[in-house]
Amino acid sequence: MRFWRVIEPHIGFLLQGFALTIVACLLAIVGAVLLGALTASMRSSGNRWVRGTANAYGDVFRNVPFLVQLFFFFYGLPELGIYIGAFETGVIAMSIAGGAFVSDVILSGILTVDTGVIDAAKVSGLSRIKIFTRIVLPIALRVSVRPMGSILINLVLTSSILSTITVNELTGAAKIVAATTFKPFEVYAVLLVLYASLTTLLSFAISAIHRRLNRFMMGG
Amino acid sequence: MRYADFTPYDIVLLLQGLGVTLALFVGTTLIGLAIGLALAVAHHYRVPGCRPVIVLVTEALKNSPVLVQLFLVFFGIPAFLHIRMSPVEAATLTISLNTAAFAFVVFRSGIESIDRDQIEAAQVFGLSRSQILRLIIAPQAAAFSVGPLVGILVNQLQVTSLISVIGVFDLTKIGNILNLRTLQPFIVWAVIGLIYYLAAKTLAHAGGRIEAALRKSVKWGGI
Repeated sequence: MRFWRVIEPHIGFLLQGFALTIVACLLAIVGAVLLGALTASMRSSGNRWVRGTANAYGDVFRNVPFLVQLFFFFYGLPELGIYIGAFETGVIAMSIAGGAFVSDVILSGILTVDTGVIDAAKVSGLSRIKIFTRIVLPIALRVSVRPMGSILINLVLTSSILSTITVNELTGAAKIVAATTFKPFEVYAVLLVLYASLTTLLSFAISAIHRRLNRFMMGG
Repeated sequence: MRYADFTPYDIVLLLQGLGVTLALFVGTTLIGLAIGLALAVAHHYRVPGCRPVIVLVTEALKNSPVLVQLFLVFFGIPAFLHIRMSPVEAATLTISLNTAAFAFVVFRSGIESIDRDQIEAAQVFGLSRSQILRLIIAPQAAAFSVGPLVGILVNQLQVTSLISVIGVFDLTKIGNILNLRTLQPFIVWAVIGLIYYLAAKTLAHAGGRIEAALRKSVKWGGI
């Protein structure tokens, strides 16, 4: 097959790029969840200034293109005397952009918890930490799996943009292969199918996790 | 003489970039919404052989990075078919199809949200298929779809920044040029980001007003 003939000699290089994509996405999702959790707790705060800051962060990073954010960090950080690699910059930018979306999910997850449940836990004499870790979090996580999954899928798609700041993740590696083989159509067509199958697989996995976590909610 | 400072001409340059971004956004939105609507109607009427193809193509477009789609169209298709394609043509084609894929899903669920009973009642009253589509389905589906569509369009406005990578002189590309000339990334990218932010906010605000106007008939307005 012509597609395989073009790709085959470069499969190792592409797999390296793929591994880099996976690592970037995993690091970014961890960063995004940490940042999102912090922002969500700030957004549910009573202090007007804390709430305002967190809301402004979410608002700005959701309404500015990721490419512009990435260039801001990539060219801006060395100005501040912070010299880190392109990969690290990319992961940081993805975490910050992802955090804005994750905070929404976590906040709405926390808000779905019925106040009656929390009152009942308080009356039963559970400590605040116990209430949060044993009551609020399990319920909030259960409803957050699906939206969190779509953020993860979006991060995978967004990670392709890191190729513009010289990170040779999957798209960056494919760019090099396309340039060396002079067969851009074959390379990018395979790449598109690869990304589509990866994200489709991810969404199946997320649905499975969602069903597993919510198995108590279903009848039968 | 130094060329590294900002000049008043840079404002013209920024406006030019904004113009390209907005023109491309409006153009691709119109084309994309038209294609998305056509796909949703074809899907609704079960045009033979259409459904699996439409679903497969739109899913592939939604589940792959726009950057890869741009590369495929701009570098891949000209090399494969031996044709010439300008960056603007490639960008228009790609973003239009991408918008169409997202719009299709919204329109489809908009059409599906309409109660079957309403359509059956209309059939009983002797309305033709096109009358049902125009008078029963379209107004309700429009009111239902505007909210999600605005969200998609705000997202697509940001996606247009990617066309700078294949060499369209849009707002982000102008930012690149200014950044390389002045070497003041903080100012340049903050200004570019601010312009995108204001554009997105304006779009969301306008969308909210259109939605309110379309939903007016749904609300109880008194006798």
